[in-house]
This record gives sequence, structure tokens and C-alpha cells, in this order.
Amino acid sequence: MDHILLADDDMELGEMLTQYLGAEGFAVDTAHDGETALTMARAGTYDLVILDVMMPRIGGFDVLRALRPRSLVPVLMLTARGEDVDSIVGLELGADDYLAKPCNPRVLVARIHAILRRAAGGCGPAGPEVLTLGDVELHTGTRCVRCHGQQVLLTSTEYSVFEALLRAAGRVVSKAQLSEQALGRVLTPYDRSLDMHVSSLRRKLGPLHGDERIKTVRGVGYQYVRP
Amino acid sequence: MHRLFWKIFISFWAALILFSATTMFAASHFVDRLRQRQEATPLRQRILQDTVRGQSIADRSGLPGLERWLRRLNRHELVPMLLVNRRGADLLGRPLPPAVLQRLARGNFPARRPRILLPGHSPYFLFPDFQGVTLARLIGRPHVIMLPLVLAAVVSGLVCLALARYLTAPIGRLRRATEAYASGQLSERVAPSLGGRKDEIADFARAFDQMAQHLQELMASQRQLLSDVSHELRSPLARLQVALGLARQRAEGRAAPEFDRIELEAERLNDLIGQLLSLARIEAGVAATQREPVDLSELLATVAADADFEARSRNRAVTVVRSVAAVIPGHATLLRSAIENIVRNALRHTAEGSAVTLSLEREAGRDGWLALSIRDHGPGVPEKFLPHLFEPFVRVDDARDRSSGGYGLGLAIAKRAIGVHGGTVTAANEPDGGLHVRIRLPATVPAAAQPPAVADPPGVRTHAPPALPP
Repeated sequence: MDHILLADDDMELGEMLTQYLGAEGFAVDTAHDGETALTMARAGTYDLVILDVMMPRIGGFDVLRALRPRSLVPVLMLTARGEDVDSIVGLELGADDYLAKPCNPRVLVARIHAILRRAAGGCGPAGPEVLTLGDVELHTGTRCVRCHGQQVLLTSTEYSVFEALLRAAGRVVSKAQLSEQALGRVLTPYDRSLDMHVSSLRRKLGPLHGDERIKTVRGVGYQYVRP
Repeated sequence: MHRLFWKIFISFWAALILFSATTMFAASHFVDRLRQRQEATPLRQRILQDTVRGQSIADRSGLPGLERWLRRLNRHELVPMLLVNRRGADLLGRPLPPAVLQRLARGNFPARRPRILLPGHSPYFLFPDFQGVTLARLIGRPHVIMLPLVLAAVVSGLVCLALARYLTAPIGRLRRATEAYASGQLSERVAPSLGGRKDEIADFARAFDQMAQHLQELMASQRQLLSDVSHELRSPLARLQVALGLARQRAEGRAAPEFDRIELEAERLNDLIGQLLSLARIEAGVAATQREPVDLSELLATVAADADFEARSRNRAVTVVRSVAAVIPGHATLLRSAIENIVRNALRHTAEGSAVTLSLEREAGRDGWLALSIRDHGPGVPEKFLPHLFEPFVRVDDARDRSSGGYGLGLAIAKRAIGVHGGTVTAANEPDGGLHVRIRLPATVPAAAQPPAVADPPGVRTHAPPALPP
């Protein structure tokens, strides 16, 4: 059973979501403020953390910021609808995905499943393989990425995006295709998730021969440059 | 208190005094020179010189030449030089002053007085006519006092220039600050840049800064209120949605249509709150400050593709018939929601089997403007509602609009979003039925990207089937 930490200051909502997610087969712990959420998340026993952006004292962003460098636990941010900036900030800080609140609980469950699937990372029909291209190495078995022999810490979503791009290296992958392959959902308008994941991938992997490793093809998608 | 008043008063006064003083100085200088000329020795020399010159001209070109020379002399000299013969007639027929007439009547011409001799004529004598120096004559010959006049004009001009500069420079600062406010930079302040100035303009600048401060605080609290309202309204809605989900789980498939209905209404409520908030946000000018290059043709193509996808299931279509490459500085989300709201409105009302057609063009004749038009093939809007179409919560036809999911806010948002970009939206009925919404946007188009041909965005059909098979 997947273990989820739900951090939301709305206690009644938390209670109902616990029941709802429980019926969907998840074990849910709740935290009602940022400090508690951070302590619980750091204990490191959760498969997924759902963080509300608006919490008293320590907000969701601060929790994520404090959590991120050391822990790669998948994080789903709940943002206020219509606040595009929130989603961008969340993804920049390394959230795996975001969902505008109020949301349909069915959509929430779908997102949770998508993130957990990525995190569990099935090896595919071919079994574990090692993809090597230039200075990068990707192990599908352990889901670890090395660049210049150094391990690069990627969130599970960043890893999925990277794998999809690397497998299609030299070709342009459309945003719609990438969204379905890596995020497990249909691309919707205003969705900046891919842009943010790609930009954190660029930051983490560094440039390739002094040039951008992943090129943006305006209006189409992204391309991992073949060295 | 009225420092500016005194500044203006005193400087104008000073400039006037300065100008009059210079003019008076010029006049006295001139009078001095005139007097010098009247003194016996220089006067005699002058007459002698002119007579010698006149004689040489008379020798060369006779009486006509002498007349021409005399006229020229009359034009250039302030003191008229009369050329009189013994019978008392001036060569140019000018009236003689009484002093000269008296001397002529007495007939006492010294034998030494220089004369101009012409064959066949009696001798002519030159008389300077000092009484003939009138103001009219002086005004007619400004060159004689030109230098002091120019000096006076330049000096007073410089004084007035400095004064005008001093008065208008802070007004220019205020104007720039106002423009900065208009573009959303509310942190602009004027008073510090005026230094230690203490007058009405400085007071004005301080009052202006206070207003800006007040506005800035108001905007901040408005923004806070928006986010509070957003949070407070949405929390119950979020709980409602989860409760609904729980109820669904427990009902195990029973009452599904009712649950669907509740879910739909909750979603509508959510959308409505979202729309209200975005309307309030646009009106508060929150969005005006963030600008980035927006590819309008790409935006149009994606909106059309999305809407077309939904329209297909209802046997309608959305097509882009014309498009040009156009990148404008703007707020992508706002522009998108503006176009999307208008397109969705058109799609709601277009007849079954028909298409909503979109086109983006550069405006003919008026450079730098883009025309985006959205046309449906529906019943149109009664003429009397047209002017109110873009007001919040205006419904043309209550029953139908509600059933088709309109909130009466989409077009209001669109109009304001376009307004933020300096554009306008108008709507008109087409003679053959259907509403035609026209958006005009100021464009800054890169010079390289101006193909006159129709752009062909991927995934969007550029031909226009006016109707689909039923």
C-alpha cells in the first residue's frame, strides 16, 4: 500500500481526502502546517507528499525548498487556481507536478497514480538497460543518471522527461507527446510543467560543449541534442 | 506661500525691465551719435564727402544717376539729405523744412558751400534735414539701431528661456512619472528628483507622490483581498468536491446523474469564481506589468485547434481562414483567455453544422495594427444589445445563454484583456446572419517576419468550409 503525506491547513478537507484516498487504496497521514509536514516528510517513509501552497507559518514552497536538495520523494503541489506563478515556482523548486485547487478528487487520484508509476519506474519490456549518449549515462533499472561519471539527482518526473528525450535524441519530441509519455497525461493549455522540468534538467545536467543540451523548438517541442 | 507666483512675477518683471533698459540704452546711444553728427566739423566734412561723391556720380551718369544715388542714400540714412537748387526745389520733390526755406529766401549761400554742378542746371546744395528724423522714419530703417535691439532681444530671450526651463522641467518630470504609473510602475516618485525646490510645483509633486503612495497601498491591499477571497471562496468548494467524491464512492453507482449534475455545477461555480477573479485582477492592473513576446498567430492556431476539437463532437467547427506572422509584446495568458472567451462564445451560438471562422490580418492602410476577427454563423445579437455585449453579466437571451453555459463574464474579460494591450473589441451583426467580433491590437512586428502570404500553422486547416455536412 502506497503511503501518502497530505499537508493542508484545511483540516476538514484533509479528513475527507484521507477517507477518499483510503477508499482508493492509499494510506494517508495528514499534517496541518508546514513545520509538521517538513518533519514528517524528512522521516522519509512516504511514497508521495501532497503539499498545499497556502499554509500558515511555513508555506508549501518553503517546505519544498527545505526538503528538496536531500530528499527526492515525489511531491505534488496544490496551487490556487489562476495563479500561474505558483505552479511555475513549485516546479522550479523541484515539485513533480501541480494541481490547481479546488480540484476534482478523481483527477487528484489520477495524478497520484501517474507520479507513483514514474517513481516506481517499471523497466519496460526489455528489462533494465543502460542508455549511453556522449557524456551521459542512464540506468533504467536503478533510475539513476550519471553525467561525466557523476551521479545527477533527478526527481522521478525529471527522470521520466529525460528518459523520453534521451531515447529520441536528435529528434524533436512534441510537447503533447512528451506530456503523455513522461507525465502520463494529456497536455492542457497554460500547462508550464514540461517547460519547468526541462529547465531544471538543463540546470542539473549543465551545458553540452558549451551549448544547450536540450533545445526548445518553438511551437513544437524539445530536442535532446546528439553530441 | 506663493513662491512660484513671486518667481514668475519677479522674473517677468526683471526681464521686462532688462529689455526696456537695453532699449533705452540703445536709444540714448543713438541720440548721442545723432548729436555728434550735428556738430559743425563732422557735419561739414560729411556734406563735403557726399557732395564730392554726388558730383562724381552726376559727371558719370547725369541727373538720373544722381536721383538713384539720392534715393539710395535716403533709404539707408536716418537723417534725410535734401538736394536743393536755388529755386528751393528738392531733386526728389520732398518738402523742405522752414529753416532751409528761410535760408533760401535770404539767399545767403556762402560761396564756399560745396555744390553739385550739372550742365544745363543750376547748382544743387546738400542739406541734412535733422527735423525730418521721425519715429516712422526710424522704424522704416531698423538697421541703424539693429545691434542694440538684437542685444536686448537676445539677453531678454535668454532670461525667458531659463525661466521657462525652470518652470517646465519639473512638469516634464511629473509627466514621465504619470506615464510610469500608467504602465504599472507605481513605485515612481517625483519629489526627490526636484532637490530642495520649495514652490507650488514642488508642493504639487509631493501631493502627487502621496497619491502614488496611496494608490500603491490600495493596489497591494486589493491584491491581498483578491487572494483572500480566492482562498475563502474556494476552500468550501474544495471540500464540496471531495465530499462529492466520497458520496460517489459510497453510493456505488447509484444516483450517478445527480452526482454528475452536482459536479458540473461545482465546476461552473469554480469557473465563475475564477473568471470573477481574473476580471478583478485585470481591472486592478495586476497583469499590465508583465509583458513578454507573444506569437499571436501561434496562439490563434492553438486556441482554434483546442476549440475545434471540442466543437467536432457537437458537429460544429472552428477554422482559421487567414493568419499572418505577428509577435506582439503582451501577457500570453490574458491574450489567450481573451481570444478563447470570444471563440467559445461564438461556438456556443453558431448553428449546428456551421463553422466559426477566425482570421488574423495586418490592418490595411494603418500600419502597426493587427485585426483579428471571429465570426460565427448563428442568430446574431439584437442590435440594442450590441453596445452592452462586453459588459459583465449581460445576457442577451436569459434562458438560452444559461443552458448553453454562458456566465456573461467571458466577453467582459476579453474586452478588458484586449484593453490592457491597448487594443479594442467591437461586435457587429453580419447581414447574412451571425455575430462578427473584431479585435484591433497594436502590433510591433519584426521587420523580417512580414510574409504577405497566408501562414499555415500546423494542425489547423486554412481553407474555410462554411458548413459541415449535417
